[in-house]
Amino acid sequence: MAPVWTLRNLGRRPLRTALSLAGIAVASAMLLDMVMLSGGIERSFERLLLGRGFQVRVSPKGALPFDAEASIADADQVVARLRGDPDIAAAGPVLGGALYARTADSLATLFGYGIDPAAQSLYQVLSGRDLAPGDTLGILLSAPAAARLGAAPGDTLRIVGGLDPGIATAAVERRLVVRGMVRWLYDYRGQPSVGVLLPVMQRLVHAPDRVSLVAVRVREDAAVPGVVARLRATEPRLEVNSVAQLVVHFRERLVYFRQLSYILGTVSLIVTVLLVATLLTITVSERLGEIATLRAVGVPRARIVRQVLAEGLALTSIGTVIGIGLGIATARRLDAILTSFPGLPAALSFFVPEPRSLALAGAILLVAGSVAGLYPAWLAARAPIAATLRAEAT
Amino acid sequence: MLLPFAVPGARLSAQLPRIAVERRLASQLGLRVGDTLRIGAVPDSLRERAVVAAVYEPRPDPAGVLRPDRYVRLHLPDLAALLGAPDRVDRFGVALVPGTDPARAAEALNRAAFGFRAFPSAAIAAESSQTFLVVSRFHRAIGVITVVAGAVFLLCIMLLKVEERRLDAAVMRFVGVRRRTIFAALLLEACLVAGVGSVLGAGLAVAAGAATNAYYQHLFQTRLVFSLVTPGIVGFSVALSLALGLGAGALAAWRLVRTSPMTLWGRA
Repeated sequence: MAPVWTLRNLGRRPLRTALSLAGIAVASAMLLDMVMLSGGIERSFERLLLGRGFQVRVSPKGALPFDAEASIADADQVVARLRGDPDIAAAGPVLGGALYARTADSLATLFGYGIDPAAQSLYQVLSGRDLAPGDTLGILLSAPAAARLGAAPGDTLRIVGGLDPGIATAAVERRLVVRGMVRWLYDYRGQPSVGVLLPVMQRLVHAPDRVSLVAVRVREDAAVPGVVARLRATEPRLEVNSVAQLVVHFRERLVYFRQLSYILGTVSLIVTVLLVATLLTITVSERLGEIATLRAVGVPRARIVRQVLAEGLALTSIGTVIGIGLGIATARRLDAILTSFPGLPAALSFFVPEPRSLALAGAILLVAGSVAGLYPAWLAARAPIAATLRAEAT
Repeated sequence: MLLPFAVPGARLSAQLPRIAVERRLASQLGLRVGDTLRIGAVPDSLRERAVVAAVYEPRPDPAGVLRPDRYVRLHLPDLAALLGAPDRVDRFGVALVPGTDPARAAEALNRAAFGFRAFPSAAIAAESSQTFLVVSRFHRAIGVITVVAGAVFLLCIMLLKVEERRLDAAVMRFVGVRRRTIFAALLLEACLVAGVGSVLGAGLAVAAGAATNAYYQHLFQTRLVFSLVTPGIVGFSVALSLALGLGAGALAAWRLVRTSPMTLWGRA
């Protein structure tokens, strides 16, 4: 009976209720977006880094992976030591750098990855086949690289490295056959990337026995902190970070978005509370005579309070349900804007809709709706019965 | 990569390369003018020594505000020697004779020689400001949502505010006050509420902007301005809230004056 009464009360002023619901829906959509934004990018980044199961990254001291042009020297020994660790299942060295492909009358600039296909953390094969160990004549292309070069699996490319811009002469040129098309996990949208075996890349960019980073897969997740601590002690000239630590670095760089989400989320919540409280206060003021009559015929004060609180909750719940749909739609639009940041991996998302985010936003809004109903409920509860009925009668 | 390490108590030497250290880095490492550092191109070869000749404040740069990078400046030959790249540079800045078109000058340079590429500064600025364009688009989208939320909120409040006057309107109608007068009175009230609310909102925005600037300037150790409340923004916000307030007030007042006084009084 009580829910019917609540809905009937809200239906007495349809325009007022509709406007309030619209306000709550927009505010709750904003709150939902901000809840998604506050942790979405970190979760997305973490998933991206753990996508191939490598929980640790080893990079040059003072640099995060691919954050600087610095590289690790004596890479073979470093990788051998890592692979010798009983807790480490795989260590995948990677060397990144600029490469060029000869086209009809010029050079196309590419980003090159030197990889070990047996322990790679960077790509998924989409078509064709992966590089085999020892395949020094093969090359993998991303879709943007293939589009730029007009190449497909089986084609031969002339890849140039170590280009000296001062004299415009290629130090090294190799003919490589396209083995497969791959999706590089960390590429930004439209990045023309290619992959070759690590020794080939080292020769192309004049970086013998050097790598940009080593991705490490630890056998047991629980052993990751111990492995990181041990590697930091045994490899003092290297930067060793677990994915969790990299996420912390990433979070520090994106502190602005997290704080913006807190501020706008709080503002949305305040708007919701004000809207519900104002509406209920005026509604209660208008219905004081009715409330006094109910009290006079024996309806307990607690039931009146429950009724007002239920109206606040009903308004907030309906507005929240509408707001969730609206929030997911706006999150897609906002995500499309933010993921167009130059240099950001295309696989990252700023707004990640998860059941946990939805539940958290819903719970916050329901609590806010209840809080907003407290003042009007108190007004309704303390209305003097006799005086109110007398005033209504005159 | 340049990693400075302080050597406490070292004496100033005229023969050593002299470097200028960014203020934030000097503060982090506790460096002062005259201190001697060991520097190197890679972390495991900090073999060279240099003397801090100056501590400088870099120009505020939004592009670097979220980066943890810290900078030192060296004389070009010192840096080239340190990097093992004598007589090499990454880029040149070229000042043109006043009146010369930068785009045409860059084109002429690109035609004249190979091995480098010339760009007008404006093209580089446009390319490097892509990040800020994205942020700006994001802010605009958030702004649109906020304006929609604010507009609905305002409409709702104005409607409630006018409906609150049902009994007053009924009494005025009973004593013979014309509908037009009641409408004008309610509209004036709506205008006043919207006006006072707008002014309070503008004040709140200025205060929030000042707090935002103080917080982020302290957080990022910069003089950049993060929140700017311009007269244009205030004008737009006040005009929008006045228009919405008046529109909502007019709609609610119109509904009120069209309703019979007995209904308004609750006796119909």
